[in-house]
Amino acid sequence: MVKIIVNGVQREVQAPDDTPLLYVLRNDLQLTGPQFGCGLAQCGACSVLIEGKEVRSCVTPVSTVANQEIITLEGLPARWAKQKGLSAEEAKDTLHPVQQAWIEEQTPLCGFCQSGMMMVATELLEKNLNPSDAQIKAAFTTEGPSPHLCRCGSYAAIIDAVKHAASLMGKGK
Amino acid sequence: MTTAAENTVKVYEATLSRRQFVKTGGALVVGVAFVGPSILKAQGFQAPKVTGAPFKNSLDPTQLSSWIEIHPDNTVLIRTGKSDFGQGTTFTAYRQIVADELSVPFEAITTVVAGHTDQTPDGSGAFDFLGRGTPNIRKAAAYTYQALLDLASERLSVPKDQLTAKDGVFSGGGKSISYGDLVKDQQLKLNIPVSGDLTGIMGLRVEGDPPMKPVSAYTVIGKSHPNSIITSKVTAKETWATDIRLPGMLHGRMVHPKTLGSTLFSVGQLDKSKFPSSQVVVKGNLVGVVALTEWEAIQASQQVAAATKWTEWKGLPGNEKLYDSLRKEADWTTAQVTKSNANKGDVPAALASAQKKLSATYHFPFMKHAPIGPTIAVADVKPDGTVHIHTHNQNPQALRGEIATMLGTTPDHVIVHTHPGAGHYGRSNGGNSGAEDDAVILSQAVGKPVRVQWMRAEDLQWSTQSPAAFADVEFALDEKGRIAGYQIDHYMPAFQDDRPIGAILAGLPTMPAPGGGSGFFASTANFLSDPWLYDLVPNVAERGHGTFQVGQKASPLAVGLRDHSMRTPGQYQQNYPRELAFSEAAALAGADPIQFRIDHAKEERLINVLKQVRDASGWDTRPSPRPGAKSTGSTPVRGRGASAMFRSGTYWACVCEIAVTPSTGAIAVEKYTIAVDPGIVVNPAQLKRQVEGGAMMGISHALYEEAMFDESGITSRDWITYPIAKMTDTPEFKVVLIHNPKVGAYGGGSEAANALAAPAIASALHDATGKVSRRLPLKRAYVQALLKA
Repeated sequence: MVKIIVNGVQREVQAPDDTPLLYVLRNDLQLTGPQFGCGLAQCGACSVLIEGKEVRSCVTPVSTVANQEIITLEGLPARWAKQKGLSAEEAKDTLHPVQQAWIEEQTPLCGFCQSGMMMVATELLEKNLNPSDAQIKAAFTTEGPSPHLCRCGSYAAIIDAVKHAASLMGKGK
Repeated sequence: MTTAAENTVKVYEATLSRRQFVKTGGALVVGVAFVGPSILKAQGFQAPKVTGAPFKNSLDPTQLSSWIEIHPDNTVLIRTGKSDFGQGTTFTAYRQIVADELSVPFEAITTVVAGHTDQTPDGSGAFDFLGRGTPNIRKAAAYTYQALLDLASERLSVPKDQLTAKDGVFSGGGKSISYGDLVKDQQLKLNIPVSGDLTGIMGLRVEGDPPMKPVSAYTVIGKSHPNSIITSKVTAKETWATDIRLPGMLHGRMVHPKTLGSTLFSVGQLDKSKFPSSQVVVKGNLVGVVALTEWEAIQASQQVAAATKWTEWKGLPGNEKLYDSLRKEADWTTAQVTKSNANKGDVPAALASAQKKLSATYHFPFMKHAPIGPTIAVADVKPDGTVHIHTHNQNPQALRGEIATMLGTTPDHVIVHTHPGAGHYGRSNGGNSGAEDDAVILSQAVGKPVRVQWMRAEDLQWSTQSPAAFADVEFALDEKGRIAGYQIDHYMPAFQDDRPIGAILAGLPTMPAPGGGSGFFASTANFLSDPWLYDLVPNVAERGHGTFQVGQKASPLAVGLRDHSMRTPGQYQQNYPRELAFSEAAALAGADPIQFRIDHAKEERLINVLKQVRDASGWDTRPSPRPGAKSTGSTPVRGRGASAMFRSGTYWACVCEIAVTPSTGAIAVEKYTIAVDPGIVVNPAQLKRQVEGGAMMGISHALYEEAMFDESGITSRDWITYPIAKMTDTPEFKVVLIHNPKVGAYGGGSEAANALAAPAIASALHDATGKVSRRLPLKRAYVQALLKA
């Protein structure tokens, strides 16, 4: 049995130790934000944040992340609420600015890769609230385990959304 | 039982029947009525036969089916057989179109039902959503409006021509009534004429000619209403096909044959000590493993696969010899040679008397649709023979038909539920995406619901691909440098194999392989799919030559390299050589490539998109190659190229500006300008995102994509061996949307954008270096070799 902390909640997992975290999240914990894209850490559809850093859950055995803080797409609003010290009432209807920006910029086409894309955006913007185009492209291409791939070609929309999210975060809402 | 009198009134080709005094609720339900061919003929329709309309588990086409419901609270529900694959059209444009036809606000349409065969009326694939300007849902809305107008006129005792509708309220003669009040406490049913084949690839079509709102009356169309499904997708509230879990469900994985022609020799022994809940299913050459958990199914299938023996097969040419083999060994004589309706004049004479001539061959590789998530389906074969399939599929009604064929039953026993998933770009528009038939066979074998997901390698190696092609072009210039004659012969294997692969492997019935039928989808004929643009060329000959899929006849499985339409099927393979040849012709004439196109065009909309893209891109008018073009050195050289296309009512033109490093062959697209005239722009923000996405996919095709294969099968197995564009490949995009209401129709927004880049980038390479690559993709090794030669 492995104990993991997902989106601020401690969970006990019965799956064998070598089970990739992705299947634990999706099948055992019903956290379906991360998607299976390749199972090879080559696309980023399965990305989650572990201790604030992007990790490919499809190749990460669950036993290796015991007692570490895991954030999935489902946990982004609470992460923002905590960072901003929002009251429960304020937090109720508040999305993470990255999600809000993804909606306002109409970023997703099929959207299958976008959970992973939003994880990278969150990691980037938590470090750098004013990223340049080059820094955004690097974050999504060369800085992680592999480039984050979008087959529908939404890269320009993602760049727009990251910049919009940065401005929303700068305003603190 | 209420026994109220029923009135029946004709509303154009529709029939409105009313039953009053219903105790509660009330709604205007627009159903479909199948009108026999004789009636259709009497009304002046071309009358295709209506077939494939199962009643059980369908919306009853003659009585209860619904397209549109008007509710007493003034809300509206619409149903469409078109599934959303990321275009967002059903959630944006369809709502806007219905809102304007009905004269209700966008927000009044609170519900869009799509994707379930038992809850939607019309079928057909997720393609050409706005094609031909009149989606079914628009006509259904137009009929609904006329029915409401009749009702309002009667209720208010005001003649119809004195009534006006706004925001769901009729007013006139000092009186008014809302749509909700019109339908309250009434049960109203409107039957409309429909033709077609529900489970055929094109589905059903709403017939008749109800009055439509004039374009000048549009208030909702033309605005950037948000795509409502985005919110649920980015907040993890959406139920994706990958999320479906049924009670008692097992996880399945397939063990695919070693090659595209291997038959099963012996099945590997399952190690029960390691995989206690697993079970192997074998049917013919189909092998699958089911288990209680997904991770066990994956591991057990890998263990079984390693121990399973298959016969060897080497029946493919391999990608090195592909084009040689296609030209010399393929059978181009069985299929009829097709001819373009633009053909005219005497091309041989024009070629004979030419001042300058060029003849060249252009090569176009196999490309994968490569959805970012592999195919996935959950099937539940019930003891009574009813089959439920949860999947992500562009044509759920066609899938019904294919699964029914496979099981030897009728489509009414099959219910398909389609949920969001990774874009397929046409791969499943003929009814199967890969995993559905596998899941059905495994579920039937084990008597439980089974979820099958293919792994990444299988999704690249066992799926269909966009077919390879080549084209021989000859053109002649006259003494003024204008094209005197143009001739092109297009060669391409069949492009649409909708046989489910699991059914083939299991030896179960399927539709015939391409070539076993006739017409656009079922024959091996290569139809001319890229409309001719340059009306002022005096002598034109375009011909299409088709053949069987590569390896299909040699494979003991009758599989080979199965092909499938991708976004612009056939048109892509035909537009690339034509547009690149036009740029080459301009260079040969010493003319600017955009002006050269304009000088050969008559159609005003085409000339306009070319001028608009020229202006928006800051185009420098001059011939190619550029002064100082250079094919050596490690310093990037720059160039630009253009291309144009007409598809589905829409004119497109683009300019690509690139930097190429001769020593490495690396190409970067730095700026990409697109002008698009679809007629009426329904939703500018959504269209812009569709265009950018398609354009990006086009860059990916042009620079990277080629399905690699050896003599036994596809060897591309992951994102390293089948690379696609990354964010660092993103150019500066400029999208010019040309709202052209006088066209009076809406064209297709997204499919064509992906095909524009390749000829424009190849032209830009010529502009920068003075050398022409007539082969895709323009990947580093090929470009490097070209520039060295």
